Amino acid sequence: MNKSIRPFAFISFTLLAVMSVYAVDMNKAYDMPDASKIVKDDLIPSPTKFIIPKDCKLDDLERIARGKYMFHALNSKNDNKENLPKGMKAPKEDEVKPYGNCVACHNIENAIGGGTVGPPLSNYKANFIDTKVRDAQFVYQKIADPRVDMHNTSMTVNLTSKLFNESEICDITAYVLELKKEKPTK
Amino acid sequence: MNSLLLKKVLLSFSLSTALLLAGEQFSMSEADKAMYEELKENNPADMNVEEGMEIFEELGDEAALANFLEVDEKKLAEYIAGFPRYVKKMGNVVGLDQVLQALQVAQGQKKYDLSSEVMSSLLAYVKSLANEVAINIDVKANKEMEISFALGEKLYSEVRGYRGLSCNSCHSLPGTILRTQILPEMGAQNTGGTWPAYRMTLSTLVTLQERSRTCMRDAGQAPLPLGSKEMVALEVYITNLAKNNKHKVEIPGLKR
Ligand code: HEC
Ligand code: HEC
Repeated sequence: MNKSIRPFAFISFTLLAVMSVYAVDMNKAYDMPDASKIVKDDLIPSPTKFIIPKDCKLDDLERIARGKYMFHALNSKNDNKENLPKGMKAPKEDEVKPYGNCVACHNIENAIGGGTVGPPLSNYKANFIDTKVRDAQFVYQKIADPRVDMHNTSMTVNLTSKLFNESEICDITAYVLELKKEKPTK
Repeated sequence: MNSLLLKKVLLSFSLSTALLLAGEQFSMSEADKAMYEELKENNPADMNVEEGMEIFEELGDEAALANFLEVDEKKLAEYIAGFPRYVKKMGNVVGLDQVLQALQVAQGQKKYDLSSEVMSSLLAYVKSLANEVAINIDVKANKEMEISFALGEKLYSEVRGYRGLSCNSCHSLPGTILRTQILPEMGAQNTGGTWPAYRMTLSTLVTLQERSRTCMRDAGQAPLPLGSKEMVALEVYITNLAKNNKHKVEIPGLKR
């Protein structure tokens, strides 16, 4: 290369290299999808009060059986979908119902792998109902929307979020209030 | 490169079969725990990091990245330990993976998908350049960082999804047990400094944002897309927890 044009070639090469970088708009050179709508559509209504329905018969054995199923069922392929209690529909593929996931956080009589995020609910009737510390309405409201009596609760919202309907909340309430026996451990 | 891939495939295959045979009731069976101890000696994600190194070499190595970020190459590691950051020429608070995408595009290459395994490997390698460096994210560095941190903080405690849970519902109760898993203490356990990590249960390398998406899905929230302002904001928030606990970058992590 001719000596006199060498610096010129060098400068123009560098310029070109720099320009090729800046020719691309760096504001569009990466992915940043918008999620604001996803968040907005995913919000649930603010804490809502519910009254236990009149037809919620807490000693109805079929209700208790359904409530028991929902309490212990996790979203898992291990759940026994064939032996559903009477009055319960089999969940469709990928459907969340009827999984209450309660046992993920709470221990209770005969729980398998009960969690400790929430208080244990064993002996609930003797400890809380018979002593009048709690009543059925409290438990129903707690399961339906726990935020009403505890602003910053860690518990799931089950009725305001429309995961369950009123009758199902009644089923689960009936199960929590039932007098249960611990199976002797093998 | 090819033998590396083969090694990876074989390893993840043997790991997933081992996990299938282990008990499913509890998250960490005795067999799982033994495997975890073994993996601590030999993290399978080291292979991802190696793969990431090869890709990064082709991109021009530290010199190219330092030049792109307009920082002194000698200060690059320290700079990396401060991500997510506001990068002016990108116009946003961005994660290191998004910077690597932009670097690819600037060099006339096709950018990797944020969800691709090669991107996770590349991210793991580049973040590992800051290993042993103290996390120095500055959530007050500028207006953009302040806004991002505030958004992350809000999203962290915002109740959403069909179970009405927020991140905080569970993550404010570290040490308690949820679904047989012990809830981690994100700050104390250096969550912000240990992802990308090898996830034993998935036999693969996972990024912090991907890990967060799993929690969202499991908790009934709509999972937010990788790289979204919201996801980056959550990463800012979680990384700041690690910084507050005086942690260093430790890549690749190893997780259950
Ligand atoms: C993600 C964790 C979590 C899940 C899932 C969960 N709970 Fe709770 N639960 C809690 C926490 C934490 C509390 C204590 C705070 C409160 O009272 O809101 C609680 C409180 C309760 C109480 C009140 C106990 C008392 O007398 O003070 C009842 C009853 C209850 N849960 C039942 C249920 C039922 C039934 C389900 C399933 C439909 C369920 N929980 C699912 C975490 C959870
Ligand atoms: C219903 C409970 C629950 C909710 C809600 C939840 N998480 Fe988690 N999260 C967990 C559990 C349990 C673990 C640990 C699981 C394990 O052992 O792998 C975890 C682990 C994580 C980890 C990995 C921590 C580490 O370093 O190992 C991240 C990151 C995370 N969660 C982010 C989030 C974010 C972000 C949100 C909200 C958008 C969220 N989580 C909501 C239960 C939850």
